[in-house]
Amino acid sequence: MVEERTPAIPSVRGIDLSGLWSILALSPGVLVLPVATAFACLVAWQAIAVYGDISPTILPPPTMVLQQLVLNFWLILKHTIPTTYETLLAFGISIPLGIMLAGLIVYSRLAYQALYPNIVFFQLIPKIALAPLFIVWLGIGAPSRVTFSVFISFFPILVATATGLQAVETTMLRLCRSLRMSQWQILVRVRFPTSFPFIFSGMKVAVTLAIIGIVVGEFIASQQGLGYLILFASSRQQTDLALACIAVLCVVGIALYGCVSAFEKLLMRWYDTR
Amino acid sequence: MQAEISCHRVRKVFGKGLTAFEAITAATFSVDKGEFVCLLGPSGCGKSTLLMMIAGLEAVTEGTILASGTHMTGPRAEIGIVFQDPTLLPWKTALQNVLFPIEMMGRSRSAYLARAMELLRLVHLDDAIHKRPRELSGGMRQRVSLCRALIADPSVLLMDEPFSALDAITRDDMNIVLLELWERYRKTVLFVTHSIREAVLLADRVLVMGRSPSQIIADIKVPFARPRDFALGETEQFNELCSVLRREIEIARWGEAATRH
Repeated sequence: MVEERTPAIPSVRGIDLSGLWSILALSPGVLVLPVATAFACLVAWQAIAVYGDISPTILPPPTMVLQQLVLNFWLILKHTIPTTYETLLAFGISIPLGIMLAGLIVYSRLAYQALYPNIVFFQLIPKIALAPLFIVWLGIGAPSRVTFSVFISFFPILVATATGLQAVETTMLRLCRSLRMSQWQILVRVRFPTSFPFIFSGMKVAVTLAIIGIVVGEFIASQQGLGYLILFASSRQQTDLALACIAVLCVVGIALYGCVSAFEKLLMRWYDTR
Repeated sequence: MQAEISCHRVRKVFGKGLTAFEAITAATFSVDKGEFVCLLGPSGCGKSTLLMMIAGLEAVTEGTILASGTHMTGPRAEIGIVFQDPTLLPWKTALQNVLFPIEMMGRSRSAYLARAMELLRLVHLDDAIHKRPRELSGGMRQRVSLCRALIADPSVLLMDEPFSALDAITRDDMNIVLLELWERYRKTVLFVTHSIREAVLLADRVLVMGRSPSQIIADIKVPFARPRDFALGETEQFNELCSVLRREIEIARWGEAATRH
């Protein structure tokens, strides 16, 4: 659905800028405005870094960061691969885990009472604080990072799915009963599809948490990954390299989020045309 | 004539002990095969609860409900229900929603496709068969829901205030659509409403339900010839019957007011 919105037309000292906007604003709120804002910030950052007489260790200008990105492209890429791979693995485990636990909690009163308060309790402690323990338990390899990442990222999927499964209206359930549908039929044919949009919103939160989990794990103990490289660069005061890694991390994050979003659109369309 | 639905001293109590609430005291009535009966009453008189019990969706506290001569023990395939909300699945098209009961009953969809198309055509949704609920208006959604209730060719159609959430103009349209459908299929219909005019326009018989005690307090025949249309609403006899029913409902409510003091 297209939302009709009148863009706020900014004017400076009474000069009408609507003419300028009509040139720029193909769709001012969607693309031009956020990109323009980000670009303006980068320009300001460059100006401050270059003309502000600030040490590049404290604040390297964006051009230096870009330079690092180009110079160390293969090094950064080498470390991007394990981070991305482990994130995907953790996210891939979180999705079925969250959905299945949600199903269990919604359908079994016993499971709800036994599990849910404990799961919530574990979510209330600052999970980052537990990260070192995962290293103690599972070593410094990928398993500890992936497990920790799953630990922090399955919860939003669980909550979202549970909410979605329960979002079916009472009259809808009455209709199902009047058609003598089994609990399994109700779950698969009504409850689960109803919760799709909920599951995807949970997945969008989870994918960002999955990256955080992996990077935190890499901070603590790792010989590879972007988290490791950021820590390494920082310890050698190569702020520009650290920032280049962070920029790549952003790209990875946006790409994964975009994939989830695209998959959502695709699946909803497939479901719509079935 | 054979009674399709018969209720004998049906009582319904929700909850237990001090919090127990008696929704229906003793409802006794029957609906003949092919008859269109409206259950009319002020809100909160338990008419929807009674309908849900007849649908097998609500347990009966006391008394008996017979449908086609056998005790109601649970939902049945030969009973179609239209709720106040359309309760359509948002990811399915109008046609798919109509065919949903067929799928769930494990019957062949292709065998019912022609019937589904015919039903949708009869409710004037020819152009909307492949549209999803969000693309349809409230009245159109309820028409889909009506087709869905009829798809498995039930012998009884139970309707729980199906048009009360619609605006007045749409509601009038829906009444005509329902009359047309009924003329064609002649199902046994039990229709719950709190609109007097709707009841008189649609029904062969109107059962008035009162509150405290909650039971059937009047059983009034509607003598008008069929097929009916809106012109009937302007006749003197129609309005006379409406005022008779209005008085009955006043008695029902007055009874309730008396118990308050």
